[in-house]
Amino acid sequence: MNLKGFFVAALSSALEQGMATCDDLVRHVTPEVLATHLPRPLWARLLTACLGASRVDAQLVVETIGIPNLCEHVPTPIMWACLEEIGVRSIGGTYVPKTSTASLVTAPPTPGKPAVPPIPPKPPKTPAAPLSITAPPEVNPPSVAATQPSPIVGAPEIPSPNDMANLFNEEDRPTGPANRTRTTTSQRFRASSTGIGRLANSSRRPQASAQATPPEDPAQGTGRTRRAATESEYEVVTNVSGSNDDWKSALAVEDEQLVDWANSEETVTGSNSSPDDPRKR
Amino acid sequence: MVESGLEHQIFGPGDVLAHATPDVLANHLPPELLSKILAASLKTGSMTPEHVLETVTPQLLAQHLPHEVLWACIVAAAARAGVTAPVNS
Repeated sequence: MNLKGFFVAALSSALEQGMATCDDLVRHVTPEVLATHLPRPLWARLLTACLGASRVDAQLVVETIGIPNLCEHVPTPIMWACLEEIGVRSIGGTYVPKTSTASLVTAPPTPGKPAVPPIPPKPPKTPAAPLSITAPPEVNPPSVAATQPSPIVGAPEIPSPNDMANLFNEEDRPTGPANRTRTTTSQRFRASSTGIGRLANSSRRPQASAQATPPEDPAQGTGRTRRAATESEYEVVTNVSGSNDDWKSALAVEDEQLVDWANSEETVTGSNSSPDDPRKR
Repeated sequence: MVESGLEHQIFGPGDVLAHATPDVLANHLPPELLSKILAASLKTGSMTPEHVLETVTPQLLAQHLPHEVLWACIVAAAARAGVTAPVNS
């Protein structure tokens, strides 16, 4: 249980949303409380800020110290009293300051009796009791029922291997919610990983994952030749810009070579020397 | 000496706090005085060296702060006034 983290989040949110002001904080976290519980380095920071500021107010104090530092060093009963006032006021009620909180301001520093302050949290426990009373009757019966029938359900699941095919079919079938969630999660990861996934979200990935590519590879040999052609086009464009006459004289030779080179794409790497030698010759 | 220097305007409250920095004050003043300083500043809406020295009087400064700090303040004021200049021979 992280009370300080809870106070930091609650008070920060209350300040951000205008439910509370820094004056509300300083009303509980008085200079006396700060002088007693705040570490000296933070006091030095506070004095520096105050001396350099044109105006000293609660906002300056709270902003200089920071909510996390306040919640870290100020006793939790004091922070709770502040949060309680904010909460009661936001609901529309009237906050009645407890005399015990004032005593807590002085009590925590000298004696180690902060155990007494936790008593105020007990009032929230009383409303929590009826809630827990309502909840258990719902939770317990199903839990007990779930434990008892679980072996019963497990027994039919063991012979179910005969029905495994049905189970797989059922999984493949509609059972909508599970499938929907799976598709959404997969798309999120893919989309967040790279922008390439945008193009290959639906069409390309099924093709690759379906493993139909091996049979499609021989059939799609033409597609590979097209890709090679595009690559060669880029190279030709750049080279033509350099010198046109040389390329005109060499086009006839390179056309023949391009035909042979395209037909033997996969062997180009292995037989680079054999086709290159006739070209050079 | 600090009180006399302030009365005779050898140095001002700002000169005192130039040596009795917030770090020094925070590390040497008791919590009660720190509380009074902050409470007075919140009440008046500003924290000036004058206000600080109104709360933390020279007697309290001499009681809680290291004397080296206060002495450095006096020496600096003397140097500004030219009192220590002819000593160089």
